[in-house]
Amino acid sequence: MKKYEILEHKADLRIRAFGETKEELFLNMMKGMMESMRSEGIKKGENRKIKITSPDLGALLVDFLSEVLYLSQVNKEIYKDVRFKKFTDTELKGELTGQKVERFGEDIKAVTYHGLEICQRKDGTWEAIVLFDI
Amino acid sequence: MISKKDFKKISDWLWEIPKSFRSDMRVPARIYVSEKMLEESSKDKSLEQLVNVSTLPGIQKYALAMPDMHEGYASPIGGVAAIKISDGIISPGMCGYDINCGMKLLKSEYSEKEIKPHFDKLATEIQKEVPSGLGRGRQVKLSIEQIDKILEGGAQRLIQQGYGEKEDFENCEAGGKLEWADASVVSDYAKNRGRDQVGTLGSGNHFLEIQKVAEIFDEKVAEVFGLFKDQIVIMIHCGSRGLGHQVCTDYLRTMIPAMQKYGIRVPDREFACVPFNSSEGKRYFSAMASAANYAWANRQMITHFIRKAWKSVLGEKASPLVALYDVAHNIIKNETYLINGKETEVAVHRKGATRAFPPGHSEIPEKYREVGQPVLIPGSMGTASYVLVGQKEGEEAFFSTCHGAGRTMSRHEAIKRVSGQEVVKSLESKGITVKCWSLRGIAEEAPMAYKDVDSVVNIVHNAGLSKKVVKLLPLAVIKGE
Repeated sequence: MKKYEILEHKADLRIRAFGETKEELFLNMMKGMMESMRSEGIKKGENRKIKITSPDLGALLVDFLSEVLYLSQVNKEIYKDVRFKKFTDTELKGELTGQKVERFGEDIKAVTYHGLEICQRKDGTWEAIVLFDI
Repeated sequence: MISKKDFKKISDWLWEIPKSFRSDMRVPARIYVSEKMLEESSKDKSLEQLVNVSTLPGIQKYALAMPDMHEGYASPIGGVAAIKISDGIISPGMCGYDINCGMKLLKSEYSEKEIKPHFDKLATEIQKEVPSGLGRGRQVKLSIEQIDKILEGGAQRLIQQGYGEKEDFENCEAGGKLEWADASVVSDYAKNRGRDQVGTLGSGNHFLEIQKVAEIFDEKVAEVFGLFKDQIVIMIHCGSRGLGHQVCTDYLRTMIPAMQKYGIRVPDREFACVPFNSSEGKRYFSAMASAANYAWANRQMITHFIRKAWKSVLGEKASPLVALYDVAHNIIKNETYLINGKETEVAVHRKGATRAFPPGHSEIPEKYREVGQPVLIPGSMGTASYVLVGQKEGEEAFFSTCHGAGRTMSRHEAIKRVSGQEVVKSLESKGITVKCWSLRGIAEEAPMAYKDVDSVVNIVHNAGLSKKVVKLLPLAVIKGE
């Protein structure tokens, strides 16, 4: 299964991600965001614990990505994986696997709610579209 | 899909979508464009987004769009909404993520001929002095306490510390400091993102340019602004970096659930808003002001670094760089207008639009008051930029004008069509020096990805929103990443 794809957008970065489950969808969208930052000088890093509560699944995805983006920016890290310890439509807890980087080639500045789509397809798999401000 | 047939022509430069177009519109939507540009505007979602702006509770007169309009997140970029403070909303999305993204122009006393032999060295030294903030160049990390002082003191705080001259804040919108800023309503997340970014340029369309005054349209105003033919000036375009983005993210997250409490519904979550006078609204307005102060401090620190480079290349005795003006194009400000015969206080949300106060306005520096506020309009990379001046006729647009050229092509499309090397070569063939860490960044910002700035500026000039004073041409372009 394809993890994610970059969609056309005039000024910013729009990613469509896929997943067998909601958890995998969140992971793949995170990978799309992290890989788009084109980081250089990757070294071993730390793991980071995260905890998010949001009004619904769509907001949970955006708020999760915003948290990951924040951690990435202030710690100069990228995250390759996330292990969820709790995952509902409005709450998640987990741990990110981090790697230190020297610099980013692309500055993703924010995760937006604009044109946000998240849905389960007929075959049971999940799909979402998120727009990032770059 | 909205198209030309949905518009009523008001003048050659102004078109209106009547309130009857969609049942949730509270006011008509108006767009400052030529007939040709109007047809172009229908190609993306910006017109639909403008109609969405017209549905915001408390909006007065019209939802407005400037000729450089293109698709944004909630509001189109180039959108203006004046919202009544007593019973309207405040919307972080209508201000944008990059709070107080704006322009600063520094003028020298030198002409092109005098500086020409030093160009390459000057551009190299400026690039070296001004870090991008993405990992290259100088890295200074301030404490949270130092950030708090910048959030509340703006550019003035840095000038007090010796990073500038008194004239720098005199010649700046709001004196480089909004008084209602309050560091306690800005999250630690935002502050942490801001700790190592004071004096950094960032990426995307942000840039520094060494330019020359190529053409003078209004001798009298140019003289008041201290501009002369062939003069070397330096233009700065950047904003509040990660800190401003985090403030917007934080408050959208607060407002999305709060809207239910206030019974507000919006066409897109990115428009999340609350009553201006609610506790959440007041907190956001103070947080926005804090981020705006951070942006003015950022442009001030960049100015300091540029001056350092200037002196190191031209010598200690070189005549100094003086700030002409500094003005935001993403901001919310309280202003008073006569609406339906009544003095009305409105929160003017400008998202990719520049304030352009007319002659005599009390909020512009005394030295410019007789002629009007300087308006700084950057072109796309390698093309012309402009200095305009605010006009009385601009009142119909809440004293707002355009903010740049406006994208017409995605970054992705630009990269597919042209390589960074080709762009650099074409700029160099025009005599423009390019300093950039990333060739990809150069390709993304290729001039072909933008509207023609000359036509955009001609619209606001002809519509009377702001008048052309001088045209600037780039000699060196310096980009972050």
